[in-house]
Amino acid sequence: MAVENLAFLIPLLPALAFVLTFFFGKKLPSGGAIIPIAAIATSFVLSLLITLRLLANPGEVVTQSYNWFAMFNIGILVDPLAAVMLTMVTFVSLLIHIYSLGYMSHDKAQSRYFAETAFFTASMLGLILSDNILQLFVCWELVGVCSYLLIGFWFHKPSAATAAKKAFLTTRIGDVMFLAGIVILFSDLFKIFNGAVPDGVYILRFDTIFVHIPEIAAINANIFGMEVSHITLITLLFFGGAVGKSGQFPLHVWLPDAMEGPTTVSALIHAATMVTAGVYLVARTFPMFMAAPSSLMIVAYLGAFTAIFAATMGIVMNDLKRVLAYSTISQLGYMMLGLGVGATIGAEAVGISLFHLVNHAFFKALLFLCAGSVIHAVGTHDMRQLGGVAKVMPITAATMLAASLALAGIGIPGTSIGTSGFFSKDAIIENAYLFGETTGSWIPYALSIAAALLTSLYIFRLLFMTFYGKPRTDYGGHESPASMTVPLSILALLALFFGGLTSKTFNTFVSDTFVNNFVNMDISALASLGGYQLAEHAGHEPMLILWMPLIVAVAGFLIAFLVYGLKIVNMDRLVSRNNPIYKLLYNRYYQNSIFTNFFSVKVIYEGFAFAGRAIDRGFDWIVSWFADLILETGESLRQFQTGAVQNYATVVIAGVSLLVILITVVMEVL
Amino acid sequence: MIPIVAYLALSAVIFSIGLYGLMTQRSGIRILMCVELMLNAANLNLVAFSSYNGDLTGQVFALFSIALAACEAAIGFAILMSIYRMKDTINLDTINILRW
Repeated sequence: MAVENLAFLIPLLPALAFVLTFFFGKKLPSGGAIIPIAAIATSFVLSLLITLRLLANPGEVVTQSYNWFAMFNIGILVDPLAAVMLTMVTFVSLLIHIYSLGYMSHDKAQSRYFAETAFFTASMLGLILSDNILQLFVCWELVGVCSYLLIGFWFHKPSAATAAKKAFLTTRIGDVMFLAGIVILFSDLFKIFNGAVPDGVYILRFDTIFVHIPEIAAINANIFGMEVSHITLITLLFFGGAVGKSGQFPLHVWLPDAMEGPTTVSALIHAATMVTAGVYLVARTFPMFMAAPSSLMIVAYLGAFTAIFAATMGIVMNDLKRVLAYSTISQLGYMMLGLGVGATIGAEAVGISLFHLVNHAFFKALLFLCAGSVIHAVGTHDMRQLGGVAKVMPITAATMLAASLALAGIGIPGTSIGTSGFFSKDAIIENAYLFGETTGSWIPYALSIAAALLTSLYIFRLLFMTFYGKPRTDYGGHESPASMTVPLSILALLALFFGGLTSKTFNTFVSDTFVNNFVNMDISALASLGGYQLAEHAGHEPMLILWMPLIVAVAGFLIAFLVYGLKIVNMDRLVSRNNPIYKLLYNRYYQNSIFTNFFSVKVIYEGFAFAGRAIDRGFDWIVSWFADLILETGESLRQFQTGAVQNYATVVIAGVSLLVILITVVMEVL
Repeated sequence: MIPIVAYLALSAVIFSIGLYGLMTQRSGIRILMCVELMLNAANLNLVAFSSYNGDLTGQVFALFSIALAACEAAIGFAILMSIYRMKDTINLDTINILRW
């Protein structure tokens, strides 16, 4: 049997592992971890084989489709875009599961942990494989549930329970927008088909949607007096879903709090896979964004803004994992920017964004796992209590350094020497430059360069504060077991070399997803529909532009080295609560307070309480009035029950007599 | 052959006696007996019509009715027995707790 026919097993095996681990894990050693590991390893091999096959013949897309109900189907679509995501997710998930063997070995609820992560992997793979938007949405919600369960894994801790709730509710705002987008899309398509969808045509399948993009674009809606094309409306609602899931401003607030879960969960869900689902959604529906005027602009601007916004907060956080969380938000912003610059470079944007996504998955998972290794050994994640960890944990420190270099994007422009992050982030920044040149709007480029400086600054600050210098407190600590260091080393190799090895092939491979493939899209026609000016990437940027990201990265490193390595600046004065900038950043721009204290408490809680009270009183009045009426009626009617048998007999006989008379009369009349 | 009117007349008389007793008596036993009288008047009607029409269905129905009357009497007397044990009387005027 050919391997592509087994594609449906990729999500099913982890799902099966979830069931088995959930019911029998407790009886097996280390929580039955071997079941999900074996299942995900098989999925990984399958994904890799399919990807290699696609690499050889990019046209041989795997599609399988079954009728679900009416005009909806359940189906599988493995095109280059899905294939790289599948391989990345199964691979990272596999490594993290192996790492969890060591990391979770002291936890009593191990089997629940492995069951939930297996379920998460299954849902995520289902999301990636979906060939229609409805199935994607179902899996989208499932990964949300898994995220909720795993953030609240230690639910006996109030902070974890709150964080889980916050994550669930915040992403829900985006999910509702996503659903609204699907509903509008469905009604538009239904109208386009005139309500008569032929048999075998599944209305929400991506190929059906893409074919009908021009017709959807022709439908206009009037919103607050503005003529908005439905395609813009739908794509912006989809993007709203992505904003929630991928932690873009202003819905990013849940992601730093999500660090309450086990570090492995942060690595798997909140760094490498689930949070990239939003980016994947935009990439998946990219032809629609291409045809939607101003949607891609919004994606680019918001992405660039999130990149710098989160990075500024990353430099003041003292919690190891929180720095990484803000870093994740910032890097997700880069990915969105990478998609947004599609406004000038077309489908190539999907390639560069996905390239960064995959590289980011490797180095960010690695960063989190290193942090986990430190936390596991030392027992604290407050960087102010750490320092000099490199001496006790050499492997962890070395791999962390590799990941940091990848995140900062160190490499030599114009050659194929460099860390993974260098290739992908530089591609995004360069294209942001091209975006500026074509559209005349330099804001995304400026923000992305500034964010690159801050990225380098906060990651090397973390490195210096945690791994080098003198220990600030007397912590114990030891190098982690092999089940943890081996995944670290593998990821470190990928973080260093994956980008360099694949930078030539990856982009074309993924960018061709929408060309000569599952559906053959004419990107330039779509771009003219969306009013975008496509430009040729001629490589005519000045040398300075090519070197700029490296220069700011090195600058960031130097600042971190001088301040945190050599300590030439007295930090106590800078980080005092009197410094307004520090205060602003440390309090996360007060956005959290506004959301919680103003929005949640004042608007939602008190507002709803007021409305609820009014409604409650109204209903109360109606219900009481009705109850009183019934009571009074009953009071008068009960006099009838005298308790004397003769009275009842009289009534019965009178009734019967009346009936007889009536019947007689009626019979006479008839 | 006795004409059917005779049966019907007898039945009506018995029914009226039963009805009169039901309305006027105070003793639970008597009331129960009156109810039995009314039932039997109805049975008489059934049998009479059955015989008159040459159809056995009415007689079968009467048999059912008799069986039901027996059950009713058994339950009624059992209730009266326990009422008597509690209250030392079966005068229904005094037994009127099921009222407003």
